[in-house]
Amino acid sequence: MSARRAVHGHVDRIRSAVVTAGMDRRGSIAQRLRGTTVGRSIFRAPTRATPRDRAAGHWSSFLLHIYPVKMRRKEIAFRYSWYLGVISTVLLGSLIASGIYLMFFYVPSPESAYADIQNIQLEVTFGQYIRNVHRWSAHLMVLAVAAHMARVFYRGAYKAPREFNWVLGVGLLLLTLLMSFTGYLLPWDQLAFWAVTVGTEMAGYVPFIGETTQEMLLGGPVVGSATLLRFYVLHVAVLPVAIVSVLMFHLWRWRKDSMLDTDSGEPTSDDPVAGGPPAADEVVIEPELEEFHV
Amino acid sequence: MSEAPPTETRVDLGVQPTNTRVLGIVPGKPVANERKEPEREDLVMVWPHLLVRHGVAAMAVLLLVMVIAVFFDAPLRDIADPTNTPNPEKAPWYFAALQELLSHFHPLIAGVLIPTAIIIGLVVLPYIDRSPWVTPRHRKVAVTAFTAFMVIWIILTIIGFAFRGPNWGWVWPWDEWHGEL
Repeated sequence: MSARRAVHGHVDRIRSAVVTAGMDRRGSIAQRLRGTTVGRSIFRAPTRATPRDRAAGHWSSFLLHIYPVKMRRKEIAFRYSWYLGVISTVLLGSLIASGIYLMFFYVPSPESAYADIQNIQLEVTFGQYIRNVHRWSAHLMVLAVAAHMARVFYRGAYKAPREFNWVLGVGLLLLTLLMSFTGYLLPWDQLAFWAVTVGTEMAGYVPFIGETTQEMLLGGPVVGSATLLRFYVLHVAVLPVAIVSVLMFHLWRWRKDSMLDTDSGEPTSDDPVAGGPPAADEVVIEPELEEFHV
Repeated sequence: MSEAPPTETRVDLGVQPTNTRVLGIVPGKPVANERKEPEREDLVMVWPHLLVRHGVAAMAVLLLVMVIAVFFDAPLRDIADPTNTPNPEKAPWYFAALQELLSHFHPLIAGVLIPTAIIIGLVVLPYIDRSPWVTPRHRKVAVTAFTAFMVIWIILTIIGFAFRGPNWGWVWPWDEWHGEL
């Protein structure tokens, strides 16, 4: 028994103690599942022992593909973004889920729309509750998207190379407003009818094309059955497809632009240089990032 | 005086002979004592660090929606009646600022020029503001202009939503409530 073997045994004991002390006890089950034949067919990078493995696992995951592998600690803190983009997206998900449920019980015609809403509230299982979720999610989403825009402005996060993503964001704000406005008419109550009358009158003020635009929106001179049908089709088909498409583009740009990571600024820093862009030779791409990011 | 104990640390390896010493274990990082304080610029894995935070934010906002939906019902007024115009006629709250402007200016200005200018202004903002600075003290013009716009817009929205009653006259919201969600 040489001294050398003894030292090796000692090192092994330390290592196993560190591992069982909870480095990844929970992960070991996941690790074993990923290692099975089925697991290997699902996960393109089944081993997750080293940081390099974990980066590879993230990089090859479908569900995580919109996220970068790594970010700076300051960028993931609450105060950096207030998570308003995530909150807006979650509210959109809540609206899609509750909206699909409501679609099962609603026919967009002046004869039946109002009665359908009453039926949803009184007869349909969880109908009133789902309608409430849809309504309040919609109002909150308008607030969240507007707040997201303000936060991005004060962060200076619309600056190069993210200019175009800001433009996509303006599009998403307008689509959110249109979604909310078209949905406003659907209950076909006094609130809906007159709010949409006031709202569409504004379109009529546009010179030359105003009246045509207003008639196209309304499907006639005043709010009527054609308006209800048009708003419904816009609300459940055209605008959702548009907003989800632009949102995918928006997220894709966010992910691609975050690779470049030119933001070295500190909003609270007293150092006048800290708010500016780093000099070209200061931009260091970590080897790991180079491999899995670009 | 008794003899001082030997100062060198001996590690009992449980094997003979005992005159072996661990002088160092390489390679590797120190397990304790020299742990580096994480810095704001350090890179961290998005899973779990960011995704856990996003998950918490998502659950918090869903909880908020569910709680609001339990306690407050979505409004449903009487069935639409084209012959019975309510007074005041109110647009949805996010158009309340525009409606308030419409009561002060010509419709062409308040209903067309101002909204168009706002949209175009927002779209071209990143192409006008080319300065790379992100600290507020280095972008006073942009921050001041944006803040002024936002404050005006919020005030107009609140006035249009809560402070306007019949014939778009001024009412105090605690006297008569005309806001509609």
